[in-house]
Amino acid sequence: MSYTSLAFAAFTLGALIIYYLMPSRFRYLVLLAFSYAFYIITCGKYVIYILVTTCSTYIATRFMGGIYRRQKEYLAENKETLTRDEKKQYKEKSKSGARRIMVLTLLLNFGVLGVLKYADFTIANINMLRLTLFNSTGFLGFLNPVLPLGISFYTFQSMGYVIDVYFGRYEAEKNPFKLALYVSYFPQIIQGPISRFNELSKTLFAGAAFNSESFCIGLYRILWGLFKKLVVADRLAAYVDGAVNHYTEAGGTYLLLAVFFYSMQIYGDFSGGIDITIGVSKLFGVSVAENFDRPFFSKSVAEYWRRWHITLGTWFKDYIFYPITVSKRVLELSKKSREKIGEGFGKRLPIYLAMFTVWFATGLWHGAEWRYVVWGLLNFVILTFSTEAKPLYDRLNGLLKWEGSFAHRCFAVFRTFWIMSFLRVFDLSSGGVKMALVIIKKSLTDICPLTLENIELLGLDRQELTVGCIGILIMLIYSLRQRKGSIEEAILKLPIAARWGFTALACMAVVIFGSYGMGYNARDFIYLQF
Amino acid sequence: MKDRVIEILETMHPGVDYEVETGLIDDRILDSFDVVSLVGELMDEFDVQILAEHMTPENFNSAESIAQLIESLED
Repeated sequence: MSYTSLAFAAFTLGALIIYYLMPSRFRYLVLLAFSYAFYIITCGKYVIYILVTTCSTYIATRFMGGIYRRQKEYLAENKETLTRDEKKQYKEKSKSGARRIMVLTLLLNFGVLGVLKYADFTIANINMLRLTLFNSTGFLGFLNPVLPLGISFYTFQSMGYVIDVYFGRYEAEKNPFKLALYVSYFPQIIQGPISRFNELSKTLFAGAAFNSESFCIGLYRILWGLFKKLVVADRLAAYVDGAVNHYTEAGGTYLLLAVFFYSMQIYGDFSGGIDITIGVSKLFGVSVAENFDRPFFSKSVAEYWRRWHITLGTWFKDYIFYPITVSKRVLELSKKSREKIGEGFGKRLPIYLAMFTVWFATGLWHGAEWRYVVWGLLNFVILTFSTEAKPLYDRLNGLLKWEGSFAHRCFAVFRTFWIMSFLRVFDLSSGGVKMALVIIKKSLTDICPLTLENIELLGLDRQELTVGCIGILIMLIYSLRQRKGSIEEAILKLPIAARWGFTALACMAVVIFGSYGMGYNARDFIYLQF
Repeated sequence: MKDRVIEILETMHPGVDYEVETGLIDDRILDSFDVVSLVGELMDEFDVQILAEHMTPENFNSAESIAQLIESLED
């Protein structure tokens, strides 16, 4: 059941009616029932996977919570008699027990995700190695596992919670139904965001009273998400697919246009989906984390990654990057490297090692193919280069005397946009790294004039192209206006006639200009596959 | 506590008057590479868990603020 389908609208309406008819304290149970209904309708028996994650997360965190509670009680009871070393020893013993539980839970859940998502990728590589090294054609068979809906998102979210409880960021949730809802909450199960328990739980279990203002803001947000997805993303997809499928024949400028359109498409698709998630959540009075902050206005790749898929970036930063940089082993390695190789190298080692791991994992998270790994590692290379070349940039900017100027900001935004757009070609190129390199090379070197006839041949006729371009322009204007605050709230402040006029126009735009396939089925969200 | 913090800082990055300096991060006296090493040393020395959310300029701008952070984590 896609978020853009009429079935989803009817499903949400049903959930809303029952939700607001229930007494406040039971409302989270309605959300839980509908979340499981959504999951079962969408992927049937594969609900077992989310149940395993929920149960293991609940049991593990409750055990860890028990360990920390006993530790607190013991230390309080023996406050006067225990020496500092004895307290330290006791704490270490408790921590080690909790660590064992955490590690086992992570192994189980990431193990399941790993097998389902990466087993065939591993098998393909083993087969390739056997063929290359031993000329063996005795290939291992593929498992072809079915990937349950949203498994990457709910696994990351749940394991983040397990790690947070381990580090004592907050206490373990005692109510298993509340935890089950946190893991399975239906508006965000398809493509996130990856919410933190302490943030989402504030409103998810509160059973907020109906608030007409919040409800309207939610509806506007949904409408905006549908516009980005149906009017812009799905329309541009036709051209992007056409150009990429004919990349050997298409001229470079047509491929460059596809690279540009793909950036708009993926932004419209992913952020549009998140808008729908946030909007639907607002209907229930639930606040979900923002996942985008006008990323195409970033002035560097590092800034871009703080503004695109924010919750995934935060997840990697908090649970992989940071723990690696400050881990004892890495810091010992850093010390040794300082002594043996040099101060500069040793000092940088923890951060670059952690960055490498994060980008390798981010690449694999996006897909079980080498092109995604290459994409991740290219991000690592660019970020490392940017850090190391900063003194050079500063000198250059000093010479040009334009640091902070409008021209400099425009240049930085333009540069970042195109770097990220070209990196995205690896995501586009189903034929692998070689295909991505050919597309990038042709886009930059094979310059040719654009004609409407050829654009039509590749998937967009004059009208479709016009609607797509106007859609992009509206997204740009919306982003620029966002700097002044929430647009949805501003619409609510308009006089009633203007508000209704705007609403009617926006609805008509989505209905008339939305790109629908056979039987009015929109395309699946791109991030659904993750 | 503060004296020990200053000792660690001096070993890592000598030549700064840590008694009075209040802009270790804001004035870029310590870069991100230094902060990572410092956090490792602090966790080792004081047996505290410094988490990602504690990595703010306010917590690392002076020896005093670092000592305060450690004291709050020890409680």
